[in-house]
Amino acid sequence: MSRALLIQLARLGDLVQSLPVLTALQSAHPERALDLLCPSPLVSLGEIFPCVDRVYPWNGEQWHEVATTKMMDADQRLVQAKRYLSGYAFPTFSLAYNLNNHPRGILAAHVLSGLVVGPGEHGPLNPTLPAWADYLRQIAHDRGSNRVHLSDAFCGLCQVLPPSDIPYLKAPEVQLPLELERMVNGQPSTLIGIVLGAGDADRRIPLSVWQDLIAACAEHIPQSYLFLIGGEGEREAALALEHRLPGKYLNRVVNGCGRTSFPQLVGILNRCQWVVGSDTGPLHLGAMCGARAIGWYFSRARVHETGPYGVGHYVWQYERGQPLGSPDDHGTRAAGSSSAHWPVLETVHLMGEEKVNATTDEWDLWISHRDEWGAFYTRDDKPDEAVLRRKDTWETLSRLVNQDFRLEVSR
Amino acid sequence: MHVLKQNIGILRHQDQVLAAQILQVPGGTLSIQPAKSGMPTALVNSRYLHSAYDPVREAARWAEERLKDCQPGETIVVLGVGLLYHVQALREMLPHDHVIMVVVADLSEFADCVSVRSLEGWGERVMWLTGSMTDMAARVTQNAKRVRILSYEPAATVYHDAYEHFRLQLRDHLAQQLSGALHIMVVGPIYGGSLPIARYVVNALEGLGHRVSWVDHSPHYAGYQSLATIRDHRLRLTVQQRLSDTLGVISLAHVAEDPPDLVLALSQAPLTMAVLEQMRRKKVLTAMWFVENFRHLTYWQQMVTGYDFWFVMQQAACLDTFRKAGAKQVSYLPLAAEPAIHQPLTLTPQEQQEFGADVSFLGAGYWNRRHILPSLVGHGWTFKLWGNEWDNPGMLETVLQREGARIDTPTSVKIFNATSVNINVHSYTGDGFDPEGDGVNPRTFELAGCGAFQVVDARTLLPALFDETMMAVIDGPDKLLSTVQTYLHEPARRMSMAASSRKRVLEAHTYAHRMKTLLGAVGMASPDRLGAILQGERHAGSLVARSMKSPELIPMLKQFPQTDRVELVDVARNIRKKGPEAKLNREELLILMMDEYRQEKRDFL
Repeated sequence: MSRALLIQLARLGDLVQSLPVLTALQSAHPERALDLLCPSPLVSLGEIFPCVDRVYPWNGEQWHEVATTKMMDADQRLVQAKRYLSGYAFPTFSLAYNLNNHPRGILAAHVLSGLVVGPGEHGPLNPTLPAWADYLRQIAHDRGSNRVHLSDAFCGLCQVLPPSDIPYLKAPEVQLPLELERMVNGQPSTLIGIVLGAGDADRRIPLSVWQDLIAACAEHIPQSYLFLIGGEGEREAALALEHRLPGKYLNRVVNGCGRTSFPQLVGILNRCQWVVGSDTGPLHLGAMCGARAIGWYFSRARVHETGPYGVGHYVWQYERGQPLGSPDDHGTRAAGSSSAHWPVLETVHLMGEEKVNATTDEWDLWISHRDEWGAFYTRDDKPDEAVLRRKDTWETLSRLVNQDFRLEVSR
Repeated sequence: MHVLKQNIGILRHQDQVLAAQILQVPGGTLSIQPAKSGMPTALVNSRYLHSAYDPVREAARWAEERLKDCQPGETIVVLGVGLLYHVQALREMLPHDHVIMVVVADLSEFADCVSVRSLEGWGERVMWLTGSMTDMAARVTQNAKRVRILSYEPAATVYHDAYEHFRLQLRDHLAQQLSGALHIMVVGPIYGGSLPIARYVVNALEGLGHRVSWVDHSPHYAGYQSLATIRDHRLRLTVQQRLSDTLGVISLAHVAEDPPDLVLALSQAPLTMAVLEQMRRKKVLTAMWFVENFRHLTYWQQMVTGYDFWFVMQQAACLDTFRKAGAKQVSYLPLAAEPAIHQPLTLTPQEQQEFGADVSFLGAGYWNRRHILPSLVGHGWTFKLWGNEWDNPGMLETVLQREGARIDTPTSVKIFNATSVNINVHSYTGDGFDPEGDGVNPRTFELAGCGAFQVVDARTLLPALFDETMMAVIDGPDKLLSTVQTYLHEPARRMSMAASSRKRVLEAHTYAHRMKTLLGAVGMASPDRLGAILQGERHAGSLVARSMKSPELIPMLKQFPQTDRVELVDVARNIRKKGPEAKLNREELLILMMDEYRQEKRDFL
């Protein structure tokens, strides 16, 4: 059986956003095993992806060590690099789909396969980008009116249409820590995931805003419990948040920061009705686990490119006014970031299925949908012109794919 | 007697002369006793050289610990003999082809040893070095490229001075063999006396063929000086310290951008302990050339453990003090002259008019100088005083030039050249000459480099650098006047002595000489790192010879001239030059991959 490899060496959010293309590839080529290469810390998540046969780790730290150890000959370095590769027993891949437009992804693709699709497909040193990669580069630079979702652009990059069904990550059979188990599997309640962390400091939501949201949820949504989501790096912020909360709300909050593995987190998110956060990996993960996501998008985050994938998710897009987000740590209240500016109550109303104004002074509310060209967001449920132009974009970019190359890929 | 006979037989196979000498020396240096384990142990002056309980076990532990750092291809040179348990342990742990040499400082000690300890089974594969330290150092460098010195301290201490001499000889021999080029980052101060020295160091290293990155902080001097307008003393000091800390981080950023093999800092370089610690974490070796009197400027105490190597301009007490304070490696390295700057000049009549004098002194107004120099005023000769920090000069006011302005290097060279008798009194905060005066100031070398005659105060380290045929050395302020008078009337003698001093500078006291010595010491202390590079092991030719396991590398390495130093970045650069249409093999792709990760700077600052 031939094997193909999909390479995604970026962070959690990008890996989760790659689930649609993995699903689409598996559906388009069911006869071919599809493997995944992702950063080592994310392997346990990749192993839950239903459409992936094997997951291979990419250990950046080990590469860095081999590359920077003092007084090692190129000869010795090469031996170590080869030992690294043979240690993971990479098979021969007939094809590598590379989603990363950076040299590491491109080089990894060429090291592991003779045929590469995606950035680097014209050669490891050839800067010419395939049409879809060039499109992604352009919208990253000058966003314009793009409405093609990143997950769907990944599909275009790999020469498949978006998946016909929205991918879903089932809860794996995994033991939860006792106190989390009690909360998740206890009496029926509304479980809300609160995503504290963000890879970039400028996407962090101030603790004061979370404090207000938790209080509002506790007051307005009966039997609601809030599960704080984050990694080791958010432990301190989570403790600070608990410290700030009035005692009466504390029994409604469970701090899961740094206490769950990815399989455990997927298990918990499967139990969440809602997940709230900025444009971060756990928000997307929640969406893929069946929770409805409410994103607060500010800084460089744009709903049309990276809104939670699927149907029925909400995104509050910050459109006007001063820059938001906390440039400092979680504990400080940044100028212009007081909770009065954040759609806290509106978010709680959405969770209560109440009608809210789609526009505040600074925020616009967007709702997710999907069709055969993938996911898209609208205001007031009405697709605008730009949404309709996605078909043209797909047709134009797909025409640019070299037909000989396409034939080789399909073989 | 049987053991000795057997050992003599073994030694005779290796070195007949040595075997014969052993039979002739009287012995009796070691006092031999049985240890608790039943094996013999030894004492010198009532101090045990080996364990009184189990010398074999003790030696095995010692060897195990030392061998952690040893690399294949190195020659182990052992200092310290005793009963050789440590050498036997090394021999038994190392592969057969790994060369071990033992420096025998005293044949009598060795004779005592071979009378009680059998060499059979291991001693045949040890090279015994005897003779003068110079000869032994030469033999080591003839037979070995990469040398790792292991000192068995309990036994080596007995012959401390002899082994120290051996180390210096070996360092100098190795320094003569350096062929590889390092990348050295020189970090200078914001201002002060070590700033020109930093420049000379940069020139010298470049002249020796090394790649030098100079982190020059002197452009920040104006900003530093502007802080003087802050009136509150403590506030001003705090802000000055913060600026200095920032300059340290800037230095670190330069290291991150282009990591050097060695960071060489000059006194007052703004590198904090935090910055040095980060460099250590990133495996960058650091050295400091402390060109100050360690008794007068004591900030080194806070930094002593931060640098991997210290070089100081004083000996004995200074070296001991640094070692006791925690310095890992400290060596004596006197100052020098820069021949391109400190040289004889032909002055214009105007220059001769301005700078010329029978007698001159150039330097800052230290306490002792204020008391000594007035004795030169009011005689039948012209006397000019140059330099700063001469406020309230008293009777020196009439001879003070340029109202006590700071004199730059080009001007100082003109003054030296235009003066018949240059006075060189080392600074001291007490009266008279410094009774502990050891280190020799830069002016001594600079005057000599200019071919200028000088009268200098006696320093304990001066005779090893210059002798009395090269300059007039006086041992007390009371000798100053008479010495000046004598030499003013003997121009031919002055010229002859000055020419000799310049000759000595060019032979042995330039910054290039110092940098060779410094790198010899650094290379000797890190044979697997800088030592290997300095011995040319990173040359393309050498790398080709060692690319056994990845023959695919050989064509890539052969693109470089044989004696060019080649690193991963160079190979990667050549691969990238192949252009966009190139098809790369697996090894080329892996090299590019490693080069990508090499460039990562994520946690440097």
